[in-house]
Amino acid sequence: MFSLSKRQFLRLSGLAIADRLLPWRLRAQEPEPRAEGDLKIILVTFGGGVRYAETFAPEGLRNIPRLRALRSEGRFFKTCINSGVLSHYNSTSSIVTGNWQRVDDFGFGRAASPTLFERYRKASGAGPTDAWAICTNKSFATMGAGRSRDFGEPFGANVVLPKQLLLEAVSGVIARAPAAGVADRANVLRRLENILNAGYEGIGWTIFEGGRRLDRQVKDTLTRSLVEYIHGPEAPSSGDELTFFVAREVMREFAPRLMLVNFWDMDVAHWGAYSLYLQAIAKTDRLCGMLWDEAQTNPAYKGRTLMLTLPELGRDGDADTANGFLNHRSGDPSCRNTWMLALGAGAAKGETDRPIAHVDICATAAELLGVKLGETAGRPIAELI
Amino acid sequence: MAKVSRKLQTLIDDGLFDRLPPTFAAYSFDRIEDWKKLFPAERGYFERLFGMLARSDNQAVERLFAPLRAVEAKMGVDRRTWSTREFTLEHVDFLQRNRHLAEWRQVIADIFGRIDPLLDAEVARRGRPRLVVVVSPSELPMGPDRMWRRLQGKGKLVNLALDESDAPEDYLARMFSGAPRAARAAALFDRFGATRTQDPYDAWVVEAEDSLHRLAESISGWTGLSYGRLAELREILMEQVNAMVTREQIPGPRQLGERLQRMNPGALKRAAGGDPALRDFLQSVLLNGNGTLLINNTFVEWAAVQAIRRARPALVCVAFGIRNKVKPFSSLLIYSDQEETNPIPTQADMLGSYVDLEIFYEYVWRECEKYAEYRRNTAYLFVGEGMDALLAIGPADFPLLQADKPIRLEEVFATAAQWLSI
Repeated sequence: MFSLSKRQFLRLSGLAIADRLLPWRLRAQEPEPRAEGDLKIILVTFGGGVRYAETFAPEGLRNIPRLRALRSEGRFFKTCINSGVLSHYNSTSSIVTGNWQRVDDFGFGRAASPTLFERYRKASGAGPTDAWAICTNKSFATMGAGRSRDFGEPFGANVVLPKQLLLEAVSGVIARAPAAGVADRANVLRRLENILNAGYEGIGWTIFEGGRRLDRQVKDTLTRSLVEYIHGPEAPSSGDELTFFVAREVMREFAPRLMLVNFWDMDVAHWGAYSLYLQAIAKTDRLCGMLWDEAQTNPAYKGRTLMLTLPELGRDGDADTANGFLNHRSGDPSCRNTWMLALGAGAAKGETDRPIAHVDICATAAELLGVKLGETAGRPIAELI
Repeated sequence: MAKVSRKLQTLIDDGLFDRLPPTFAAYSFDRIEDWKKLFPAERGYFERLFGMLARSDNQAVERLFAPLRAVEAKMGVDRRTWSTREFTLEHVDFLQRNRHLAEWRQVIADIFGRIDPLLDAEVARRGRPRLVVVVSPSELPMGPDRMWRRLQGKGKLVNLALDESDAPEDYLARMFSGAPRAARAAALFDRFGATRTQDPYDAWVVEAEDSLHRLAESISGWTGLSYGRLAELREILMEQVNAMVTREQIPGPRQLGERLQRMNPGALKRAAGGDPALRDFLQSVLLNGNGTLLINNTFVEWAAVQAIRRARPALVCVAFGIRNKVKPFSSLLIYSDQEETNPIPTQADMLGSYVDLEIFYEYVWRECEKYAEYRRNTAYLFVGEGMDALLAIGPADFPLLQADKPIRLEEVFATAAQWLSI
């Protein structure tokens, strides 16, 4: 689907940074020191929330042809419960920490307990390129590390917010040249260049320390690649496509052992256009499939990857007083009861009826990575251990 | 505290709210605080609710609220930490993040599960025929067999006798006024409103454009909202919200929510005609963050649902439209006007609108069926403009359900008028 030019965009932009700034021995092709074993874990969230009714319920299967087909290749957990606060940040934060988080709903605070990224990196001594969070939801800047003093950012994941990067660019174009509009790719390009010149730290990337030191050559490289990206024949039109694009490139260049990919376009449901919500689900399904394809073909991932895909939350049921699919705060079963599909290494084919919980994902991943979590609300999922 | 009814004030003075659990009392107090912003149906509900609690045996009330008091204790709520006279955003935050939220929600639901049937019985005794008409735009590329699929099993497709000589532009006029537009006959909501001049909230017209408003003879006796006619207000609100979000560094949605509540452009006053209840209604519908500023049909659905929920009108006329396609990039910029920010020509999204409306028909119907006022005495007409059939749902004695041959649009009007006793 994506052209080579867009691959080059990432290759030459975000990844060029690493080429320039990291010693060659730390790059993916020469893996940095890791814990025992080489299982890789990719957590993929249907961020924004999606209901059973539009996914794995009989009437929803038409929206998710890829996951529907993949279901028989992995282990499908019919009930994965979100018992926490039904906001985006708290939901995903609960998934990556193994504890129900009750922090600021919009990412203005950090998780109260350490993330899987921190625990993994601290326990294994893995380097900064071994844990990534690539999130469409632009309020997830702090998703890579909690506020625990024993862990924190030095052990956290690199957080990339592709949509925010694009948003800044598009907003800037509108603010400066309203007549031209956002369809003017040259304008978008100019704005993106300005962002790069201003330093993109804090805009689209919350990246490790090394990423802050862009030299002139890297900037030039970025600028060249942006030209290709903006003028490419299939420039992504949504945040999730860009997120996929970044995630895939990160896999190819850094081959991290632990990665969170947060898709989020389906939160367009808040606008009240059911068709746009369904389109976003179909797109996420396609991108999940493409991510799995990458894991199946990329030598660094093939045969050693467990991909766990789940909605971060559901959305309100049609009978709910809060106006059905538009919202996700009612706490009704449609909002809390989701599913999880485990694909790849260690996921025996089949289906599990017993309920699991969002917080179990972290406990399971930790166990598989050989990391001791200590006391958490989640428990390892026996079927995956 | 604004003036409430004398009846309710007496209950407050007698200390009723002090006897209720803090979260229940605070929420209730907040709801009645701006009495002038409440519709008559809401005022009636609160008078019935608190009147019943005051009349009830103290021990029975204590038993009713005992589970809530127990959960409040676990949550750390008591009268020292919770004022019972206000319900703030901090309160909402506290509840949302409390680990006992689910339990709290459940006991609240249980309490209303016990109270509402008693209140509903009172409402049902005063029941009267009601009518809800939902119109879909003529541009939808589907026939009656593929319309209203979520609801077809609940009613009957009634064939309409359309004559080739009938002008398509008269379709709605004939259905809503019983005559072609040129006859300038009074529309159903006009006629109904003429009998209800003291309560203009008993008939609502909510639409994407203004095809129903154009049928009106007068604007008294009913309440009308048109997304198209609110363009000035919407643009001002979008501009102000956009400025607020981009220039003022508002730290978060909670603070944004507080600012939104304080917004009071003159255009809002003009749109609501100086009516505080309608002004508050419009402001909350347009600024609730659910796409009502951006998408015509979202506005129509949400405004209709809110009108039903709050005002409980006996006559509801809803007309959806076709929404525009969302342009590339514009989804990133929620409060920018995509017509201005993107030079790509605007295109109507027929298929997308069809999909959107399928679920909205159901939501409008569902909303009505939640309330005792509507259950068992409401006729629903789902109409596709220009279409040779409509979907009728209603009690067995609704005459259209007995139709065994195609009927004319004028007969639909006559039946509706008769049903409403006008």
